[in-house]
Amino acid sequence: MSKNTYFIWYLFLLFGIVIFSYLFIDRNLIYYQILYTGISDLYKFQTTVVYILLIVCLYLTYFYVLRLSLQNKISKQQVFILICVTIFILFLSYPAALSYDVFNYILTSKVLFLYRENPYIVFPTEFINEPYLQFTRAANKIALYGPGWILLTGIPYILSFGTFIGFLLSVKALIVGFYIFTLALIWKITRNIYSIVFFGLNPLVVFETLISSHNDIVMMFFALSSFYLIQKRKFIPALILFLFSVSIKYVTILLLPIFIFVILMQLKRKKINWDRIYIFSAVCMIIGFLFSPIREEFYAWYAVWFLTFITLTPGRKKIIFLSQALCFGLMMRYVPYMISGTYIGLTPFFKEVVTFLPVFGALLYILVQKYIWPKKSSH
Amino acid sequence: MRLVLLLLLLILFLLSHPPKIAAESSYVLPYPSFMPGNKFHSVEVVWDKILSFWYFGSFSQFQYNLHQSDQYLVEAKTLFEYKQYVLAMNSLEKSNGFFINSIDSLKSAKEENKDITDKMMLLQNASEKHSEVLQDIDRFTPDLFEWTPEKKYPTLIHIKKNLQEAVEIRRKSYE
Repeated sequence: MSKNTYFIWYLFLLFGIVIFSYLFIDRNLIYYQILYTGISDLYKFQTTVVYILLIVCLYLTYFYVLRLSLQNKISKQQVFILICVTIFILFLSYPAALSYDVFNYILTSKVLFLYRENPYIVFPTEFINEPYLQFTRAANKIALYGPGWILLTGIPYILSFGTFIGFLLSVKALIVGFYIFTLALIWKITRNIYSIVFFGLNPLVVFETLISSHNDIVMMFFALSSFYLIQKRKFIPALILFLFSVSIKYVTILLLPIFIFVILMQLKRKKINWDRIYIFSAVCMIIGFLFSPIREEFYAWYAVWFLTFITLTPGRKKIIFLSQALCFGLMMRYVPYMISGTYIGLTPFFKEVVTFLPVFGALLYILVQKYIWPKKSSH
Repeated sequence: MRLVLLLLLLILFLLSHPPKIAAESSYVLPYPSFMPGNKFHSVEVVWDKILSFWYFGSFSQFQYNLHQSDQYLVEAKTLFEYKQYVLAMNSLEKSNGFFINSIDSLKSAKEENKDITDKMMLLQNASEKHSEVLQDIDRFTPDLFEWTPEKKYPTLIHIKKNLQEAVEIRRKSYE
């Protein structure tokens, strides 16, 4: 397939995803009533099949571009165009296709900025006449996110001028902004097109950041910035950004031992193996990911935590392979609910099965390759 | 025979007229915290003061004030039970103040066009429970108490009058 054919195919795929996202419009979302079809409820099986096909196609195209970048057959400009096209097309998508979190961000922001109440004390459901309650889930809880994130949502609140669509688009724009900042930072650190493609076009990152507008990218941007600033020996700004990262969603606190270690090493002017630092950081984030069922469950967007650091270690092929398998499994995690329409019964069991089956498959492949059919050495 | 009939009639009468029990409010008051005199009491007072800044916003303030009012009422009751009338009156005064503040918080919320229906119901329940507790205290406390501090003139504490005033403050929240 030539690059031009690929590009046209990719455009079609992206538009397909945008159209697909609108199948999930909530019937209570009064602002999108005109676009409501109820297809995802009426035709669960067909919707699920389309979803699986879209994900598989997106992964195939992603691996194709990854291979091109590995072989140096794709230029910086071409990758830039691909990312810009992805951003612009997916900006049109409906953000609550796979997760309702974006509505939660908006309502929490409203509690603070419109009602002037502390979202850590007052539930959104306490505002009885609030129209957004009709389609927001988990509104009977206090704020789930850190104060840093709630303060940041003040920007979309101001830019929305009190309109729901304005609010939704502003939150999307904010997340897109941090996605771009993160890619710019990855480029600054690695100067590697492969890393940009690996992270920026990863279907999981694309879905969870550019479609579902999850705030994990914001947290990871600040965490990564703090590491970058330590490299530049700017310790105070690094500390501020690190604390801000923790204030978004708390989990980056797990990076604190590494953060302190790196600062101490820099202060002692000792040489730092940054590749190892990024791997340890990824491990810390994986620990956070593995412990997430204590709070709720494994969510697909949590993969952004460790993917950010794995991106910076392009030489670690096995880790990259396993992380790709996990990402694919996490994207498949939506399938059991999509097809059954229920969170109970066998759904939780199948969610775990589809999530970890690709990982076990990948592990098996690595073991087989290592012990049963080892590659012949070149010499 | 006549005696048996009389007894049956009496049983029927009692069954058809069950004893009336005063309806109790379902509102739950907190357990007493550190009492005055405990070294942690002053720490708790400072902590509560700091917390008042965290509870910004009319709904949050309502929650904070009502909780404080509950806490001081329970404290007052415990102190009355131990016949520590001066300290108890002090706690009751604080409870009254916070209760008035909670009403004011709701007024502010209403001015901000917030729907206060649920909160009004909560306030009414709290008010009923507070009144129950106050009437209970009234039953076992003297109407007047003369307090004589060391090397000072005695002071007369009007316990009954103050308790009635406290009930009146709670009753006003209905209006």
